[in-house]
Amino acid sequence: MVDSGTGLGITQGQLDELSAAAAVQLRRRGVRTGDTVLICLPVGPGLLVATDAVIAAGGTVWPVPAELEAGSLREHILASRARVMISDLPHALDAADESRVRIVVSLPDLSADLSADVSADFRADLSGGEPYPLGGEICTQSDRVGPRTRED
Amino acid sequence: MTTHVQHNLPAEPNRFVGRARDVAELCALLGQQRVITLCGVGGIGKSRLSLQVAAEVVERFAGGVWLVELARIGKAELIAHRIAEVLGVRDEVPGRVLDGLRARLRQADALLVLDNCEHLVDRCARLVAALMADCPGVRFLLTSREPLRIPGELIWRVPPLELPDEEHPHAESVLLFVDRALAAGARAVTDDMDDIVRLCRALDGLPLALELAAARTSLLSPGRIADRLKNRFQLLTTGDRTAPARQRTLLATVEWSHELLRPKERMLLRRLSVFAGHFDLDLAEQVCADGGMVRACEVLDLLNGLVDKSLVQRHDASGRYHLLETIKQYAVERAREVGEEAWLRDRHLRLICEAQERCFAAGSLAGRMPWPARFAYFGRGRSLLDDCRAAVDWAMESGDAPLGLRLCRATVTILAMRGDLAEAADWLERLLGLDLSQVPPDVVGVAKGGLAYALEARDELARAAELIVESIEEQRRHPYSHWLGVSYTVAVTVFLRTGQGDKAARYLQELDEAATAHDDLFNLATARMAQLNLALFQGQVRQAQRLGEEALALAEESGHRWTIARALTHLGAVAEARGDLEAACAHHTAALPLLRELDNRAELARCLAKLGRVAAQLHDHATARENVAASLVLCRQTGQRREMVRVLVALSVLAQSEGDLDGAVLAAAAASALRESIGQHGNRARTHELLTLARARLGETRVAALWARGLEQHPDEVARRILDRESRPPSPSFAPAPEVRCSALTPREWEIAGLLTRGLSNRAIAAELVISPATVARHVANMMDKLGFASRAQIAVWTAARGFRPGGS
Repeated sequence: MVDSGTGLGITQGQLDELSAAAAVQLRRRGVRTGDTVLICLPVGPGLLVATDAVIAAGGTVWPVPAELEAGSLREHILASRARVMISDLPHALDAADESRVRIVVSLPDLSADLSADVSADFRADLSGGEPYPLGGEICTQSDRVGPRTRED
Repeated sequence: MTTHVQHNLPAEPNRFVGRARDVAELCALLGQQRVITLCGVGGIGKSRLSLQVAAEVVERFAGGVWLVELARIGKAELIAHRIAEVLGVRDEVPGRVLDGLRARLRQADALLVLDNCEHLVDRCARLVAALMADCPGVRFLLTSREPLRIPGELIWRVPPLELPDEEHPHAESVLLFVDRALAAGARAVTDDMDDIVRLCRALDGLPLALELAAARTSLLSPGRIADRLKNRFQLLTTGDRTAPARQRTLLATVEWSHELLRPKERMLLRRLSVFAGHFDLDLAEQVCADGGMVRACEVLDLLNGLVDKSLVQRHDASGRYHLLETIKQYAVERAREVGEEAWLRDRHLRLICEAQERCFAAGSLAGRMPWPARFAYFGRGRSLLDDCRAAVDWAMESGDAPLGLRLCRATVTILAMRGDLAEAADWLERLLGLDLSQVPPDVVGVAKGGLAYALEARDELARAAELIVESIEEQRRHPYSHWLGVSYTVAVTVFLRTGQGDKAARYLQELDEAATAHDDLFNLATARMAQLNLALFQGQVRQAQRLGEEALALAEESGHRWTIARALTHLGAVAEARGDLEAACAHHTAALPLLRELDNRAELARCLAKLGRVAAQLHDHATARENVAASLVLCRQTGQRREMVRVLVALSVLAQSEGDLDGAVLAAAAASALRESIGQHGNRARTHELLTLARARLGETRVAALWARGLEQHPDEVARRILDRESRPPSPSFAPAPEVRCSALTPREWEIAGLLTRGLSNRAIAAELVISPATVARHVANMMDKLGFASRAQIAVWTAARGFRPGGS
């Protein structure tokens, strides 16, 4: 599964595993069936994981484009009346001030228990650098179409 | 006073309204997170929410739920002291209070609620991180305008109360407003719900703003309040105009409420801001009434007016009052604005100093007053400690060394009687660094003596010796006072400890003569006890016995129970030395209730350990075990490592008496290691005797191995081994111990679990079962929840281990 905009990819198995773990983290933070969860992330595997995790946790995804300017971002967040927001972006955190958002969950928070419990195959640092570190698990489109793909 | 109180949460002043889901979620989150910080602007209800959550989880924390209010702490270094005070940890070595906290909390399943951390965020962060690392069972619930930003912290943003809309006209904010308006005596307040809805919206659902507005509904209708506030928001005259909207809303509401006050109420409110924490009417009258604008006889009425307007909180049970932090800050600003701050704080310092001096004089150690009357003054003095801290800070800031040192002089005795001197040492160090040219020399002399007293406790003997000599030289130039007697005692101790027996004897002689001449029963009894120690050291047991009896007679004449308790424990030591163990037992037993009454836990722990040791020698193992165990609990609670050494020694004696030489050696080694770690010297004779016996019975190699093990083991482990009937602390209620039950899964979940063992993706499983991938994902999340797992892989492994195959049952 590859994002056409960024070229970042994630396998179906990784997505299933990461989103399942993330769903557990969301439930632990109080997300219940029918709750609206804001997601304000740049396009990429993290967004996919977060979206699937919210759905798996029984929530309703309220996506907020990360590139919105502060005022619009604030309006979106206020309108959602969400209790939980998934974001790592400082401007989204600021915009959540004075909203109903209780908890802001970052991508590393969503995979909190993963490194300890999951085999190395699934260990991925989703938080990472810019925009995502390319460890063995999450790869770019060029990786996928590079030598390994040919070997496959 | 050693009863197990499992929390110190205050009774709620009124009904908690709304936030049911928030409370439930936070209670659940406390099961998973070790640090939760409730963040939000002032007046949003962080503290109240934290108290509500804390009250709900009290039964889940075997080690208690402890509220630590930090708003009144001005200096970051006092946070640890404040926590220690709440937990009953005594600062045995000044400056090492964190060690005491670690010892207290290392094995505790406790929740610490740190309220109002915002002004001390950095130090709070370091302290919380340190305690998290060393105390695995401790969790923190904090309230702060700013998060700590430490690893593992869950930042929980407290929102305002829900606002009403068409679908939810009875939102939380409306319910709170109506509840408080009815409590304020408003009639027909719900007649015009539209106005209430308008007002709640105007106030952004901020609980404090709603309370302030509701308090006015007996005179103004909600509609009129809403109109006035609307104008107020436009004309906000104080504070930062660029502040966030909620902050401005609150400020405007406080300002509006303040302006509706009568001039005298305003004056009282700003003067009340000088108190560090809770205060009573008496103190308010003394500090805030000036005989002019505000007379003492008016204060009660004015105070009640402020309570009715929700600007001051009253605790009916204790008859004490306090200001919410937001209101206090506003009132401090007003005092500053009218140029009253320095006058007010000067007045506070002077009156707190005089109040403490009255407590000291009335509860005096030397007099012959009935004990209950004196004890009440002792309690009163302790209740002023928060204000003493604030007053000492002001003495430093304003350079008022004379009053600051007088305040210390009065307070030191109150602190010492409960076994806490460490904090006073810090006050004295700071104040003695000021310009002392205006301070009466005898006051400086006493202050140096007080500092020497505290330095001796932390083994800084050279400096203590220097200071105590200066102190006594100065005090000798003035008429005799109780303080000179105490200074002599400190000198005796310091010079005995530094091997200068002659000097010690000279000071002891002077103490005896001076106390006798001035009929100072406290110091005379103390002199007898010092003479007793000297006689015991020289092997003159009969002489020691005579001195002990004299000390007790003097103590009984004075009626002061601390002195009586000390005389009794000294007599116990003499009886033990002459081999009359039953008499020793009786003396120590008699001292216990007195020390309990004083809440002097360090001396109580010591007395219990001694009693346990004596009972063990009498082969009364049940009594020994009971007392040593009680001492151990106190040592843990108070973080007293010196007393823990005594407990270990008592355990060693107990084990030996029971014929358990292994245990005796282990405990002796653990005592030795602990003694070493705190730089304390001990009596090696008993250890030597024990090891000689053990080597003869168990062999050199085994004893060496046991000794090495004892040095390494934690004192608690050694204690458990010997006390072994002591019940282990219950496992934390939050410990993740998921009872995995096959019956927890539904047939569909079993089906999916089976397919997971084949390594299928959600999409593949969905195709196989003809359901959507999202449904599969939800089933997987449900299974992880039920089984306490964090990954799909774990479900697969768990399912495979149960021999479940796809298509099987």
